[in-house]
Amino acid sequence: MTGAALRRANLESLVEAQGATRATPPLLLSADPYFDLAGEEFGRRLLLTSDASGREYCLRPDFTLPIVEAYIADGVGEPAAFSYMGPIFRQRDTGAAEFDQAGIELLAQPDGDVALDQVLTFARAACSIFGIAPDIRLGGVGLFEALLVQADMPDAWRPRIRNRFGHTEALDRLLTRLEAAPDAARQQQPSRKALVEDVTEQMVAAGLSLSEGRTPDEIADRYLEQQALDAAHVPPATLKLLRDYLAISGPVLQALTQVEALAARHKLMLGAPIRAIRRHLNGLGECRVSFDASFSPRLDYYTGIVFEMTGPKGEVLASGGQYDRLLERLGATAPIAASGCSVWVDRLEAEVAP
Amino acid sequence: MTGITLAVPSKGRLEELTREWFAANGLTITRPGGARSYLGAIEGLPEVTVRFFPASEIARELIRGTIDFGVTGRDLIHETSESGPASVSIAKPLGFGQADVVVAVPDAWIDVTHMHDLADVASDFRSRHGRWLRIATKYITITRQHFAKAGIAEYRTVESLGATEAAPASGVADIVVDITTTGSTLAANGLRVLEDGVMLQSEACLIVSRTAKLSPKRRSQLDAVLARLGTTAGF
Repeated sequence: MTGAALRRANLESLVEAQGATRATPPLLLSADPYFDLAGEEFGRRLLLTSDASGREYCLRPDFTLPIVEAYIADGVGEPAAFSYMGPIFRQRDTGAAEFDQAGIELLAQPDGDVALDQVLTFARAACSIFGIAPDIRLGGVGLFEALLVQADMPDAWRPRIRNRFGHTEALDRLLTRLEAAPDAARQQQPSRKALVEDVTEQMVAAGLSLSEGRTPDEIADRYLEQQALDAAHVPPATLKLLRDYLAISGPVLQALTQVEALAARHKLMLGAPIRAIRRHLNGLGECRVSFDASFSPRLDYYTGIVFEMTGPKGEVLASGGQYDRLLERLGATAPIAASGCSVWVDRLEAEVAP
Repeated sequence: MTGITLAVPSKGRLEELTREWFAANGLTITRPGGARSYLGAIEGLPEVTVRFFPASEIARELIRGTIDFGVTGRDLIHETSESGPASVSIAKPLGFGQADVVVAVPDAWIDVTHMHDLADVASDFRSRHGRWLRIATKYITITRQHFAKAGIAEYRTVESLGATEAAPASGVADIVVDITTTGSTLAANGLRVLEDGVMLQSEACLIVSRTAKLSPKRRSQLDAVLARLGTTAGF
């Protein structure tokens, strides 16, 4: 066997050795769930086709969604583990649209920490088959959410800030807006009743449905909330805390010490999410591990800890983490612990190419 | 292949204005077969073949490199492909066909004046209404790029190839991304452009393909024509 074929076979054995059910979802999948879950941003990467009735399909762009959907359809609750390896299809700026991914999905496991350790071990083992000791970048979604809940600010701002977490520019723009000096005193606000009537009138005049989309109540409420928010500013100390926190990035121990110092200074209880990150470090051995406070996938179902492994060429070779809100988003009736990762087989192979 | 190919909009005001602009620069575009013919020439320049195409096809063919240069809107270059702007060079804006690609919301959305308001509305739209915020547009590529930049991911586009401004009233979509010159059509349909809602300012441009394979001889023919039009390829 040549080196390349041997590495392939070893990766195949690694995928088989996870004590998991080998998942082989169909290549042709309904496109709608992907748009529903990940929105247009991801949608533009899909390879789409449609049948005679106009129903839209895509070539399998990832394994997670069909695996999790099938799990939910079977009746959730039981711990389950799935592994996979095979082709996926995405439009990319460079490289072929068809490429292989391998990975694991651990669902409803009794111990989320143990599950994440298995995921990290799997990703590192996949890299090591290709002779790579990856750099590991950790992000703390749970940590940021814990900080946000405790930071002193009007409640309505929290979801607005959370929603922009992971999008550096959008979050920066929002913080800049909040840092700007308060507006001049607001004039007297119209009553909610008058607003609702006014909005209703405008909607009727424009022929808009009062129930299909945004309702007059919703618009009036958000208008008043917005006015109140402009008045109720986020305290400068909180904005400084957020800026300082988001700027923390570096070797993991150093970075976590900085987070602890910041938490102590602002009297925040971040012990639990910080310990959760520390617990995984021993298992990561010789790898260079960094923590980046602003790092998060732009998908709101991620929770807990997220990670990325990069090779010497700077390419992301594996990524994953914990996404306890995913199953709920796909129709499960309660949050279910989930963690997993996918490794980019073509990039791993490119790392050893002569 | 010998000679170079110029693509010109095949009909309407855009065709007229394009031919007038070339004439003003001393080049007369002829269309021997009349409006039903798709082949033409420039008087005195036998090396140039003129092809009459719809403007969107001109954008596509410039990006693919099957025609060497042509006149089309900047919006169509951005919309046809994400790699569109990198695949062509704008040799000269022509000063007509001005229009903006804008984000517009119903007038009644008094709480939404900026893109950041839209980001807030989009982020909890699904939990309130059980579906994503829907945007009617024919500018799907431009919308995706601009919304990604604004940090808005929670929406679906609904392709609309005509009368986009009617989509909110007909219930097809909640808001629109549309092209407008004066905004009057949008206003007449109860829609208002967001204060930072201009995504692209477009106009008709003379555009050179960067992907067309040009021999040195054809390149010099192209440069000569561009020089007579008072410009260069820009690369």
